[in-house]
Amino acid sequence: MATETLTTASSPRPTRNPRRRPGRRQLVGLLFVAPALLLVVAFFVIPLGMTAWMSLHNWPLLGKSSFIGLGNYEALLADGRFWSAMRFTLYYTVVVTVVIFAVAFPLALFVERQRPLAGFYRTIYFLPVVVGFGSASLLWAWLMNVDAGLFGPALQQLGLTEKRINILSSFDATFWSVIAMVVWKTSGFTMIILMTGLQGIPTDLREAARIDGASRPQLFTRITLPLMRRTIALALILSVAGSMLAFDQFYIIAQGGPRNTTLTAVYWIFNSSFVSFRMGYGAALSMVLLVILLAISVVQLRILRTHEGI
Amino acid sequence: MKLARNILAVSLAGLVLGTSLPVFAQTTLTMWSRQGSALPALVEAFNAGHETKVDLQLVPSDQMVQKYATSAAGGSAPDIIGLDLIYTPAFAAAGQLEDLSSFAKGLTYYDQLSKAHIEAGGYDGKTYGLPLLAEGSVLLWNKKLFEQAGLAPDAPLTNWAEIEAAAAKVDALGGDINGFYFAGACGGCNAFTFLPLVWASGGDIFAEGGKKATLDTPQMHDAINFYRTMVEKGYVPDGAETDNGSNWLSTFAAGNIGISQSGAFSIGTLTKEYPDVDFGITFIPGKDGNRSSFGGGDNFAVSAGHADKLPAIQEFVDFLYSVEGQTILASGGSLPTRADVAAEALKDQDPRYAIAAEAMSIGRTPSTPVYNDLINSPTGPWAQMLTEAFFGEDPDGAIATAQETMQSIIDNYGK
Repeated sequence: MATETLTTASSPRPTRNPRRRPGRRQLVGLLFVAPALLLVVAFFVIPLGMTAWMSLHNWPLLGKSSFIGLGNYEALLADGRFWSAMRFTLYYTVVVTVVIFAVAFPLALFVERQRPLAGFYRTIYFLPVVVGFGSASLLWAWLMNVDAGLFGPALQQLGLTEKRINILSSFDATFWSVIAMVVWKTSGFTMIILMTGLQGIPTDLREAARIDGASRPQLFTRITLPLMRRTIALALILSVAGSMLAFDQFYIIAQGGPRNTTLTAVYWIFNSSFVSFRMGYGAALSMVLLVILLAISVVQLRILRTHEGI
Repeated sequence: MKLARNILAVSLAGLVLGTSLPVFAQTTLTMWSRQGSALPALVEAFNAGHETKVDLQLVPSDQMVQKYATSAAGGSAPDIIGLDLIYTPAFAAAGQLEDLSSFAKGLTYYDQLSKAHIEAGGYDGKTYGLPLLAEGSVLLWNKKLFEQAGLAPDAPLTNWAEIEAAAAKVDALGGDINGFYFAGACGGCNAFTFLPLVWASGGDIFAEGGKKATLDTPQMHDAINFYRTMVEKGYVPDGAETDNGSNWLSTFAAGNIGISQSGAFSIGTLTKEYPDVDFGITFIPGKDGNRSSFGGGDNFAVSAGHADKLPAIQEFVDFLYSVEGQTILASGGSLPTRADVAAEALKDQDPRYAIAAEAMSIGRTPSTPVYNDLINSPTGPWAQMLTEAFFGEDPDGAIATAQETMQSIIDNYGK
């Protein structure tokens, strides 16, 4: 919305000769966005259409497919394991997002200001972000190994636990270790986003507030937070969408264990498609996940919308 | 237009070349297989001595199904596919494989071929897969630890009570030493090593040609209790509960485990990489004696529509089952699959291979098109049941739940 108004306003003759050169500007515009559009069509719209089409079929990985209408959707309504995976995914998303923000916000406040070694700190906190999720998971899978790893033996040798604890054998230990790993890996990214938001707040506003006698907490809740609304919305949506699609960490570190308690929705989709070889059913699950994710994003946008839009 | 003409010209040229090639060149068979060293050695020897050539491509095991599915859909499936034998029914059920029934019966040595492979390679009364590589599960024990614990180092254990007693004695050595080891979170490994305990005691996990799951049997409860007791008494290291198979053999190889189970492959690995570990091999026993084994390994099958290559395939198959072929495979760590030449093929190998080969010859393989779902998947009912039953609070509940889940997966197959 905001950008649209801006471009029309800044163009020299916005609507002066609408009939003389019909669509020329639009044509040029279209040419400019064509590559992006092409990419979106080729890599999003077409695969999405195919997924939707597949979801209406009994589509085994090997062999012939047959049309079954909404059969897959009916089956997934009764699929207890999918819904429990969905519940776990939501739980994980809420927890991990809260923890990421709780870590990333203080970090952002810390590195935003000019201080000695600010660049150094920013780099250090951001560094784990450039590690791929797969490799980070492998690294932590090793750290969490009861025999060859670090955590179990270290806790024992420090005398904190009587015997070596097998982290991966209990849900809580596995879950919080994965949370720790994800926070280590992604909070740097959220920190950078929040930092740019902080830097976007005009200093005169803060100074004016301070002159008016605002305390530090007041400054934070009345000036900083409201002005960071959009940045927070962006970071939140990215974090929630990323967490709802969590797969690698639970697949590599825990294989959905202990006892299938850390199966995420995407893990279940992967299972249906590539372990059970039911591609059509996996496609139907993906469509449902897409709709849920879309709904969550819309709600978030609604809640965080400022009056001039996002 | 011009482009189209060019394409036409190129494809015409290809057609001419393609049809004229066999006139002055030999037939080339394309073949895919899992990774391993035995088969490449066999193919190399075959290519060196034959007009027909085999073009072997190794595909990582966990990518095989996806990769084959994509190629088959695009019409570029290999002539021969070597695949984990448990997948044969799934591939056959999907209509991907050529019916080899009459081809197989035409082999003069057909009745000498590994029964487990042929059983697993059958679907709907027809033969789709024949033995390529073979594995049999066996019991391993560490002779040095047995000696230290005051046990006879060369006397094979023959029932569960003996195993438990020996594990107790070895475990009593203390320190880092444990009595028994298994990979507690690995469905595939436990089908290989745990299931024979049930079979040897007279139980089974499927009935009616794989249509019915029969997990909830007295034999299964007994076998689970056998492991459970050893876990409770502390004979098994803590890491076993979450071992997805990656530490399965390496734990035994480290020399601190009294008894474990594994396959013929471990003989090669242990003798080459861990020469210090002095180990014995015997059959996996039942509760009160008897013996069984999981006949594992790979089948070969022919892609549907590639029947015209059968004469050339016959040439390769005859070499595969010849004394020379079987010897090459044996030196690559794969057990002989043809009984009447097994002894000859193994004569230069470690004598422990002969025990593994005998185990394989009595070996069984569950045949079901949903094997991957039921047994191999870490999130599947078999793996879930075992972890809960060995280490959890409620073994009976775990068995009942798994029985139900398995049956529903079997019932839903193809729907």
